[in-house]
Amino acid sequence: MKEEVISVKKLTKTYHRGSEEIHALKDVSFTIRQGEFVAIVGPSGSGKTTLLNLLGCLDTPTRGSLRLNGAEVNGLKEKDLVKLRRENIGFVFQQFFLLPTLTVRENIELPLLFSRRNGCRNHIDEIIEVIGLKARAEHLPSQLSGGEMQRVAIGRALINEPKIILADEPTGNLDSATALKIFQLFQNLNSQGLTLIIVTHNLELAKVAHRVIQLRDGEVAQKASRHGLSTKAGR
Amino acid sequence: MNFVTLAIKNLLRRRGRTILTILGVAIAIAVLFSLLSFNSGYEKQLSGELDSLGIHILAVPKGCPYEAASLIIHGGVIPKYLSNSDVEEVEKIDGIEVASPMLLHQFYKDGEPHIVYGVVMSDASQLKPWWKVEGRFFSDTEDNVMVIGRSLAEKEKLEVGDVLPFGPDKVPFTVVGILERTGTQDDEFHFLPLQVAQRVFDKPEQITTIAIRVNDVSRVSEISKELENIPDIQVVTMTQVMGTIMNLVGSARTLLISVIIVAIIISAVGIMNTLLMSVNERTREFGMMKAIGASGLDIGRLVLIETMFITVIGGVIGLLLSTLGSGLIEGFVKGIIPYSPAGRLMAPEPGLIGLCLLFSIVIGFVCGIYPAIRSSRLTPMEAIRSNLE
Repeated sequence: MKEEVISVKKLTKTYHRGSEEIHALKDVSFTIRQGEFVAIVGPSGSGKTTLLNLLGCLDTPTRGSLRLNGAEVNGLKEKDLVKLRRENIGFVFQQFFLLPTLTVRENIELPLLFSRRNGCRNHIDEIIEVIGLKARAEHLPSQLSGGEMQRVAIGRALINEPKIILADEPTGNLDSATALKIFQLFQNLNSQGLTLIIVTHNLELAKVAHRVIQLRDGEVAQKASRHGLSTKAGR
Repeated sequence: MNFVTLAIKNLLRRRGRTILTILGVAIAIAVLFSLLSFNSGYEKQLSGELDSLGIHILAVPKGCPYEAASLIIHGGVIPKYLSNSDVEEVEKIDGIEVASPMLLHQFYKDGEPHIVYGVVMSDASQLKPWWKVEGRFFSDTEDNVMVIGRSLAEKEKLEVGDVLPFGPDKVPFTVVGILERTGTQDDEFHFLPLQVAQRVFDKPEQITTIAIRVNDVSRVSEISKELENIPDIQVVTMTQVMGTIMNLVGSARTLLISVIIVAIIISAVGIMNTLLMSVNERTREFGMMKAIGASGLDIGRLVLIETMFITVIGGVIGLLLSTLGSGLIEGFVKGIIPYSPAGRLMAPEPGLIGLCLLFSIVIGFVCGIYPAIRSSRLTPMEAIRSNLE
C-alpha cells in the first residue's frame, strides 16, 4: 500500500464575523495516499475551499490535526510553512492569477524565483510541452484563451516538482470542452504518480477522480468511489 | 528572471502612475539639489566678488548701519555723505595704499534702477587692475563722459562713441568706453568722473564712501582703528560686509529651506500613498505568490525594490532637470534673495550629487518600508480572499 501523504483528523475551522460564529469545517477526517486523484465536491458554502486552503497550509485550523508526509503541520512557524509549501505543494486557482506582464514561460518560472532554484531552461521547456503550450511560450496572458491560461497556472504549479497538486475549481471559469481537456491533463499528471486533490462543482468531471469526498455544511457527507458518485452525491 | 526584472515589469504595468510618481520625486530632488548648489555657489561667488573689489575697508558716514554699508558694494545708495576733506584725513594714515572716494547715485529709467558711480579713474584702475575697456577710460579732468558696464551696454544697445542725454538736466554724455565683461556687478553700472557726478546730481564735495586698500592685509584691523578716530567716519571691513550679507540672505534661505522641506514631505506622502494603493490593488497577487512559495520577505523585498526604482530614477531625473534648468531656477532664487552676486550662483559639486542621490534612496526606503512590511505580513488566505468578499 502506498504511503499516506495527507492525514486529517477532526479538522475544524471556525470563523468569527462580528458576534456570529461560522463553522466552516467540523471534525473532518480522512487520509490521502500518494498518487491518489481525489475530488472534493459539495454545494457552495460547504467548506470545500476552506478544506483545500488548510491542506495547502494557506490557513491554520481552529482544531484538529493535519499531517503532511507524516509531519504535523499545526504549530509550525510561517518560515517552515513557506518551506513546506515550496517543497510539497503546487496550487492551481480558479482565477488563474497569472501576472499580466509576464510571458507564459516567465509565469511558469515564477515559483523558481521564490524557491531560489536555478531555472533550468530544459525543465521549463518540458513543463511547457506537458501543458501543450510550446507554440505560445512567449505570449502574454492577455493573448491566451481561458483554457490556455489555466494550463499556464498548472505549469506554474508543476515547476517546483511538488508531491501534491491542490486545485480550487480549476475548470470553474472554463467551457465544458476546455474543462474536459484540463481534466485530461490532470489525469495524465496523476498517471505519472502525482497526488491530485481537486475542488469542483462539476460532478461529471469529479467522476474522473479515484475518490470523491463530498462535503455538506462543513462535514464529510459522503466518501464515494467515482462509480457511486452519480447516485450518492448528485444534486 | 530575478526580483529586479519582476519589479520593473510590475512598474511598467501601471506606466502612468509610475511616471507621475517618478516625476514627483524628480521635482523634490531637483528643488533640493538646486538649493544646495545655490547655497554653496552663493557663498563662493559672494566671497569671490568681494575679493575682486580689490578693497579691504570701506569708510562710510558715521551712523550708517552695516546693512547699508553692505548695500554700497552692490550699488545701494545711502542718505548720508562724507566730504572731500575726509579723504584727505584718510590718506594721512600710514599703511594705506589707495583711498578712492566714490559717489553713488541711483536713478530710474523706464522703471528700471540705474546705478551711477562717480569715481577717480586713476584710483579705480589701481583697485581693479583687471578692468579692460573697449574704447578708453576717461581722465579725471574730463567732462560729460562715461564708461559703462558690458551688460548695461547690451541692455541699452549702447556703443562706444554714442551720445546720450544723462542726469536730471539731460545733458549729453559721450560713452567713451565699455568695460569688458567682469562677471561682477560692475557690468551693470555707469562710471563717471567723481567731480562730474557730484555736479550732475547736485552733491558738491559729497561722497558716499571711500574704498580703501591697505599695503599689508594683516594690518586691516589696526588701520580700521585709526580710521575710526576720524570723527565722520565709520569703518566696515570686507569680512563684516560678507557676514552682514550672509545674515541678510539667511532669512530668505530659511524660507526656501522651509518650502523645500514641505515639498519633500508632500512628495514622500505622495510616494507612500501610491505604493500603498499599488500594494492594496495587488493583495490577491501577493496571496498567489505566497501560495506558490514566496515568503513574506520575498514580497517585502519586491515592494522595496519597486520603491527604490521609483525614487532612484526620480532622483537622477531630478538632478538632470536641476542641471538643465539651473538658469531658470537661478533667476527665480535671485528674485527672492536680497543680494545676489553677478555670475553663476549654482555650483553643483560631485558631493552634492551623491548627497541628493543618497537622499532619494533614503526617501525610497522610508516610503517603501511600511507598504513592504504590510504586504509581507498578509497571510496567503487573507490576501487571496481580500477582493472576493
